[in-house]
Amino acid sequence: MDVELIINGEEKTASIPPETTLLKLLREEFYLTGAKTGCDVGDCGACTVLVDGEAVNSCLMLAGQLQGRSVETIEGLANLEDFHPLQKNFEDLGSLQCGFCGPGMILSAKQLLEENPEPTKQEIQDAIAGNLCRCTGYTKIVEAVADAAKEMREEP
Amino acid sequence: MIRKGKGIGCMWYPIGFTVAANPSAATVKVNEDGTATLLTGTVETGQGSLTVLGQIAAEELGISTEDVHVVSADTDATPMDTGAIASRTTYVTGNAIKLAAEKAKEILFEVAAPMLNVKPSQLEAADRKVQVKGFPQRFLPIDEVALQAQFVQGQPPIGSASYNPPTVDMDPETGQGKPFSTYVYATQIAEVEVDDETGDVNVTYMAAAHDCGTAINPMLVEGQIQGGISMGIGFALQEEMLFDEKGVQINPNLTNYIMPTSLDMPDIDVDIVENFDPTGPFGAKGVGEPTAVPTAAAICNAIYDAVGVRITSLPATAEKVLALIKEKNEKDIKQLSPAE
Repeated sequence: MDVELIINGEEKTASIPPETTLLKLLREEFYLTGAKTGCDVGDCGACTVLVDGEAVNSCLMLAGQLQGRSVETIEGLANLEDFHPLQKNFEDLGSLQCGFCGPGMILSAKQLLEENPEPTKQEIQDAIAGNLCRCTGYTKIVEAVADAAKEMREEP
Repeated sequence: MIRKGKGIGCMWYPIGFTVAANPSAATVKVNEDGTATLLTGTVETGQGSLTVLGQIAAEELGISTEDVHVVSADTDATPMDTGAIASRTTYVTGNAIKLAAEKAKEILFEVAAPMLNVKPSQLEAADRKVQVKGFPQRFLPIDEVALQAQFVQGQPPIGSASYNPPTVDMDPETGQGKPFSTYVYATQIAEVEVDDETGDVNVTYMAAAHDCGTAINPMLVEGQIQGGISMGIGFALQEEMLFDEKGVQINPNLTNYIMPTSLDMPDIDVDIVENFDPTGPFGAKGVGEPTAVPTAAAICNAIYDAVGVRITSLPATAEKVLALIKEKNEKDIKQLSPAE
């Protein structure tokens, strides 16, 4: 089947078997390997991407459901000049260790900050509760999201 | 009713292997532009070890960490390393790198000494310069010395070294020996809330004081400690592999093998207890695995403080804690009843 969608602002088309998941489409058709294949059953959040601004497990979504919709992956966040404030603050605080959860973690946080520019610590913890991290204890991740929120409020 | 409790867990942890050889080798090459290339066989798994190892090489050579290009974990190019295990990388690999950088630096000093009309022993390396001790205004930029070494003296400033922690095997007659070269120490304190009607345990606060020798990179040490505490909380309260009678795991997914999420993490205060170890590189020891050692003990002691039951098998799931609370209540009631 054919699917037309927007990925990181660019119109894309692909011809794929109907059982293809969004994660497979991103990684194997478009070589956008930022979204990670972790558990592949929707438990770990490593494959999180934004579909029409909403964080989803891309391993649980069929590519066919994306017809005409807009997908944002971690590859779409930084431009040639600069990182996204979330990426910059994650780097500055050493928020990630092995980094496998990073793309999903940052995109879950991005949805939160778009809906709630001034989140409390509890709201940040709630927003990333579906993204498992085995290395960091989440502490520096929560701090980086709070710092990024502050930076984005000051320099919109 | 929610009952609160506090508990303490203490630990010591040895760095490196027990007596068995676990050497690391390293090569440090000072380039003609004043940067350095570090070859190490150890692998970065996200803990930041290559940053710390680069810092060690930079400190020894008197250059900036960003001047050090680290090449790691490639058997085509890098010397042998026992591996990123036993919390040994900073201590064992770090010592090898410090020794290798020292050797490269000695070559630079031999080359610079006649240029500055002093003996090599009168020189030191700092701020990307080779300078005379006590007279820092008499100096040569390190790139100039490295270039001179290569082009004029034909003596490339390359140092290689290996380090194996000194140990002594146990004497079978006296039982005496020295199984490890150094040890780290830590204490963690847990505050918990236990629901005595459901047995549910919630860790609300952790304080962690860790002696890791010199903290070469305090931010990374903090990250290790916070991560270790999350693993310790999983070990204490959640994580358990369950098997059926045929030995097949019955909880192979992350929906039924439960591990900590962001919602399970308490506030954590990290206290790095700096303690210079003369055998470590710039006094450093290690911090990886020790961070997860005292957490479960502190949490179980806090549970005892809250509801008076001793957890003797992990994880302390709500079912297990509730069963122990019920058992204790029955015993308490029996003791209160008048003798027949």
